Amino acid sequence: MITGPGKLNTAAAVTYHHARIGTQPADCWLNIGVAGHKTIPVGEARLINKITDKQSNATWYPQIIFKHNVSCAALITLDKPSATYQSSLFDMEASAFYQMAIRLGTAEMIHCLKVISDNASQTMSSVNASDVKQMITAQLETINDLVENLRTFSHELALINAEPEHYQTIIEQWHFTQSERRQLFRLLRQWTTRFSDQEVLSTIDRHKTAQAIIRTLEDQMKNTDFVIHD
Amino acid sequence: MISTIYIEEEIAEHPRSRAILERFPDAEIIACERYGEIFNRKSQNFRLQKKKPALILAKKHKGLVLSTPKQYGIGAEHNYYFSHMLNCLYDCRYCFLQGMFQSAHYVLFVNYEDFIDEMQSVLNQHNNDPVHFFSGYDCDSLALEPVTHFTTTFLPFFEKNPQSLLELRTKSTQTRSLLKREPIKNCVIAFSFTPDKIATALEHKAPPVEKRLQAIIDLQNAGWTIGLRFDPLIYTRDYIEEYSTLFNTLFSKLNPDLVHSVSLGGFRLPKDYYRKLEKLYPDEKLFSSPLIEENNSIGYPADIRNDMLTFCKNIILQHVPLEKFYPCHETI
Ligand code: SF4
Repeated sequence: MITGPGKLNTAAAVTYHHARIGTQPADCWLNIGVAGHKTIPVGEARLINKITDKQSNATWYPQIIFKHNVSCAALITLDKPSATYQSSLFDMEASAFYQMAIRLGTAEMIHCLKVISDNASQTMSSVNASDVKQMITAQLETINDLVENLRTFSHELALINAEPEHYQTIIEQWHFTQSERRQLFRLLRQWTTRFSDQEVLSTIDRHKTAQAIIRTLEDQMKNTDFVIHD
Repeated sequence: MISTIYIEEEIAEHPRSRAILERFPDAEIIACERYGEIFNRKSQNFRLQKKKPALILAKKHKGLVLSTPKQYGIGAEHNYYFSHMLNCLYDCRYCFLQGMFQSAHYVLFVNYEDFIDEMQSVLNQHNNDPVHFFSGYDCDSLALEPVTHFTTTFLPFFEKNPQSLLELRTKSTQTRSLLKREPIKNCVIAFSFTPDKIATALEHKAPPVEKRLQAIIDLQNAGWTIGLRFDPLIYTRDYIEEYSTLFNTLFSKLNPDLVHSVSLGGFRLPKDYYRKLEKLYPDEKLFSSPLIEENNSIGYPADIRNDMLTFCKNIILQHVPLEKFYPCHETI
């Protein structure tokens, strides 16, 4: 999704994207854009490890838990374009992106990759939209690597967060109160770890009530030897 | 091993920080104002972060030395704990740190001298009464010793204050710094154990039982006093056999005179921590153990708990005298 420049556009884009596709905590969020820096050559990419919002002075630290081939750097997000080049990267979007995405996602899954568009010797006035497109395109391999890394974690997180097998089927077929649903959720997870080769549905299919199902699952747990290791 | 180091600006020039940075010349260094900006942030996933924890160098400002809960102790009336580190190199599935902290990063408080000053004032407060200080509540005391040099700084303080006692709680075999120096009487190196198969299933990345035992033997040979901690006791169908083997192995090889104390307690966690762990590791067998909720905590039901504690107590008391035995649970 192309957000357009500035914090407002970026925050709105994150919110819109979330509302539109119903993002999950396991999803990855990646802000790809351009940034200025005093000395880093134009066209080089940096993965951001610290974001400071110039106006509020708030700071965020993206959690980079994967191996990567791109250098990391700190970044400051400004409200207005600036031609005062510093030893930090600066842009106009990252803080808004991160601040919004962290409310919807998981810290390890939210990242910013910035391509240097201008520096003290090649200033912003010489950059146009097609240059930006070219610079980003030149970093496609880096972007793909990053996405691949995040995809692995996203998959792991999705598995951790997943509902146990048959949970939906059971709550659709029998009436469970909220607290019974929580009990069932936990019992089904335990069932999967302990009796992976036993079909839960056939154990409960003659039951008439949620309480009876819970009792049966609990009894089966209680009456079976518990061995913690293989 | 450590590829990212966050460092609080305030202690960036601290000699201990500088030495650590020199040890990791390739690490990415990120400055921060306070460690909590990273460590305490919500929306972090402990399990994912544990794949590549960063080191955070920080200064501890308050609560450097705290009183222990009442039932915690190995013979003294005045008991305190302190944590020069938060989090641990190892990854025990039952560890309450996963429930307590938002982050799996290692925090190292480099202002050791402030901890020592605080301990001194605690000692002053109690005149010449014995005071016990416990390290290893929020971390493993020795696991990162080659980086932290924690014992090198702290042991001389205890050497000078024989009315105090230091317990270093650990599963680590990083005992070189201890073996290099003369032992001191008022330091107990307390090793935690579960039986071999349980340790393999649950104590990820921790040294195996036989390596821990070898570390104990080396320490005892060098004259150090050690402690044995069977906490948490973990239930499995054949626990009697497994714990018997463990106790027999340990007590047949150790010098009982250099065992300062033995303690034990069943697996239990505050309910909130337990629920968090269960969410982080839904596929973990430990969390389908026969557990119940009682007084806002999750643990084994009384019958299992008492059977295990009584059984273990009976064997332990065949090897150590009652005055060296400290159950962490009130029911035995
Ligand atoms: S060794 Fe102790 S502190 Fe470290 S993970 Fe295991 S239980 Fe936790």
